[in-house]
Amino acid sequence: MNEVIEPNLGETLVFWICGGLAVVGALGMVISRKAVHSALWIALTMINLAILYVANSAPFLGMVQVVVYTGAVMMLFLFVLMVVGVDSSDSLIETIKGQRVAALLLGVGLTIMLVAGLGAGLSGAGTIGLDAANAADGGNVQGLARLMFSDYIIAFQATGALLITAAVGAMVLTHREYWQPRKSQRELSQDRFTDGGHPGNKPSPGVYARHNAVDTPALLPDGSTSAISIPAPLRARDDARAIDVNDITNVRRLTEGESE
Amino acid sequence: MNTGTFNPPEIDYLAIAPILIIFGTAVLSVLVEAFVGRTARRPVQLVLVIGSLLVALYFVISQAGTRTITANGALVIDGPALVLWGALLVLSLLGAMLMAERTLDPSGDVFAARAAALPGSEDERQFTQRGWVQTEVWPLFLFSVSGMLMFVAANDLLLMFVALEVMSLPLYLLAGMARRRRLLSQESALKYFLLGAFSSAFFLYGASLLYGFSGTVSLPGIAEAISAKPSQGPLLILGMALLVVGLLFKVGAVPFHQWTPDVYQGAPSAVTGFMAATVKIAAFGALLRVMYVAFGGIRWDWEPMLWVIAILTMFVGSIVALVQTDIKRMLAYSSIAQSGFIMLGVIAASAEGLSASLFYLIAYGFGTIGAFAVISMVRQSGGEATSLSAWAGLGRTSPVIGAVFAVFMLSLAGIPLTSGFVAKFGVFAAAIESGDTWLVIAAVVASIIAAFFYVRVIVLMYFSAPAKEPAVVAVPSAFTTIALAAGVTVTVVLGIIPQPLLELVANADVFLR
Amino acid sequence: MNPSNYILLSAVLFSIGAIGVLVRRNAIIVFMSVELMLNAANLSFVTFARMNGNLDGQVVAFFVMVVAAAEVVIGLAIIVTIFRTRRSASIDEPSLLKY
Repeated sequence: MNEVIEPNLGETLVFWICGGLAVVGALGMVISRKAVHSALWIALTMINLAILYVANSAPFLGMVQVVVYTGAVMMLFLFVLMVVGVDSSDSLIETIKGQRVAALLLGVGLTIMLVAGLGAGLSGAGTIGLDAANAADGGNVQGLARLMFSDYIIAFQATGALLITAAVGAMVLTHREYWQPRKSQRELSQDRFTDGGHPGNKPSPGVYARHNAVDTPALLPDGSTSAISIPAPLRARDDARAIDVNDITNVRRLTEGESE
Repeated sequence: MNTGTFNPPEIDYLAIAPILIIFGTAVLSVLVEAFVGRTARRPVQLVLVIGSLLVALYFVISQAGTRTITANGALVIDGPALVLWGALLVLSLLGAMLMAERTLDPSGDVFAARAAALPGSEDERQFTQRGWVQTEVWPLFLFSVSGMLMFVAANDLLLMFVALEVMSLPLYLLAGMARRRRLLSQESALKYFLLGAFSSAFFLYGASLLYGFSGTVSLPGIAEAISAKPSQGPLLILGMALLVVGLLFKVGAVPFHQWTPDVYQGAPSAVTGFMAATVKIAAFGALLRVMYVAFGGIRWDWEPMLWVIAILTMFVGSIVALVQTDIKRMLAYSSIAQSGFIMLGVIAASAEGLSASLFYLIAYGFGTIGAFAVISMVRQSGGEATSLSAWAGLGRTSPVIGAVFAVFMLSLAGIPLTSGFVAKFGVFAAAIESGDTWLVIAAVVASIIAAFFYVRVIVLMYFSAPAKEPAVVAVPSAFTTIALAAGVTVTVVLGIIPQPLLELVANADVFLR
Repeated sequence: MNPSNYILLSAVLFSIGAIGVLVRRNAIIVFMSVELMLNAANLSFVTFARMNGNLDGQVVAFFVMVVAAAEVVIGLAIIVTIFRTRRSASIDEPSLLKY
């Protein structure tokens, strides 16, 4: 039972390649200026960790890692980044002066302590391997299932509470309710016609358009410009483009029956 | 083991009935949100919450003598767990009373009418005007309580981790839902969340190293591995240190206390009172169990570490509290200092230490929840008057509330004839008995410093001229009145006749392994 | 190659995550760093499961993934709420809670 299983060369290669990429991803996440880049870096780390799980005789967890972490969690992160704005780099947490350097030192200290301590503690540690444990129930997944529904059944039930809390919490914080009944499609269209609004399409640069830019108003037959032919935001900002005087006289001449 | 057969775990459903009742009611109350009409939700939820807490409390009391390990060793129901369950349920009941209050604030209850509505928006104004209430807080509250109950009874690190999250996640949400000063509240929720997640990562990594050391995550299993292996090595020490750091974050010990003042200040006072009392109890309950059950055999290794942290916690908490100008922040630093005192009971690592810690936690819980009940009543132009200067002369304008608050302050300071004195005396005696005399001397000095700022509030209330814009005490409904009355009664009664509770905790002075 | 190399890798990842939490100021990146720390703990659990020859570590890692998923939902909901408030209610000071 206690014999040491010698991992083969293939595993060594996988470890150094995937482990290296995982560290690169982690560093990239911490160093990246933009949150989106961070999210992509950490996704790299997570995929590589999934491969390492498989190499570590945890095929089921490798799959779950891909589905849950890279598939769901990181996508949720990216989704929120899109909502918040891809370029968001606003600071939301208070920082104290000199905190960055102190934190860096603290972190490096933690690294040294952990790596040195664990390196010393694990030198010469044997590996039993999971072949016997997996074989007892006929496979890795079956073995996990047996533990989950026997020794850890209470924890399993409790995760239900977590998931309900997550659903309720997300809804409470972000689900928008309406204090007045929402208008139906029919009411909306009635409003549009009864309020003296403009029922049809707004005039687009048509016969007398002199330019195809969206901020160039259409000309009316008398040579004046049509305000509603350009989008409201541009109008509000007074961003409508001026029309060449020659064009105006040209139009006026046309409507007065002269040929161009 | 033979393939294909599965022996379901044996679960003593009666013994864990309190957890099941709270958990089941929480699920039920989510369904109430879905199927009960808007106006009927609040009364239905209140009946469910208060009813379930009372029924759960009945089950705790009715099986006071139970000592059992159930569900394949995942949950342990022993003396300390039952005492902590009782305390948690009673304090949750008082917390629920504070959260149900709706007469203090002219515009409604303590939570935002709709947490999703933007602060200052037309939507928010309309919701407030229509008197809508966010009844989803009740299922969240119950989930949190069920997590606490599991946390103090968990006998393996995995269940402890999951229970920690079940307890914390709803609290992060509740902290961010205050009716007034919503930006402050939301920001406190973010800080609480980020630091809480950070601390649970430490807890988890520590648990993984301990698993590597012992091959199991169960607390008695770790203790066995410790006594079986000749040399402990860095794996055990590092794992234990990281695990304990995770727990110390939750109890708010220095240097892991950064979140405490911000969250205490930003969260609605009712939630702060509930959280300050119950999370502290639950986290210390778990810390005690981990230290006594899993690491009892290597107390010489962890005691020096906790020594340093206890001294830092007591002094930083007491000294920084002296300069606070906001009453909620002051109570936050006070709660940090109190954590330091309770740690004396942990460090004692004896039966006396355990029972003294339990007594301290109960005394602290009632005093704190009462103090926050008073804070929720002292108001100024619609909101709570949390600035200390507004409290000047309050003792003369409202003698009853002034006196009640003074009782809580004296109890937290540890003045005789209050529960705080008996509690402090208990942990100090236990620590001396275990040979930590120097630590007790430091603790006495720290409690003298702490007494300054508690007494300062009393002096301010009674001997200062009223402020320009003095705070007024709003008249509460029966809910807050009951919570306040319970808090002050327990504080005084435990100070004068502590014997019954002392006997109770003395009977619960050993963890079942 | 000894499987304990995996543990050292997990220690490095955990520390990088911790540094990220302490150094970065963007709440979303801080949160990602916490996720990295949880992943590091998972790697450690999986490796120790193999070294110890029992499946408990793998079960723990599985539960951690579930917990992390729930945690992410809550955390991102809080972050989105704050973002919406901040953008529309123009707050002058970046932080209201100070020492």
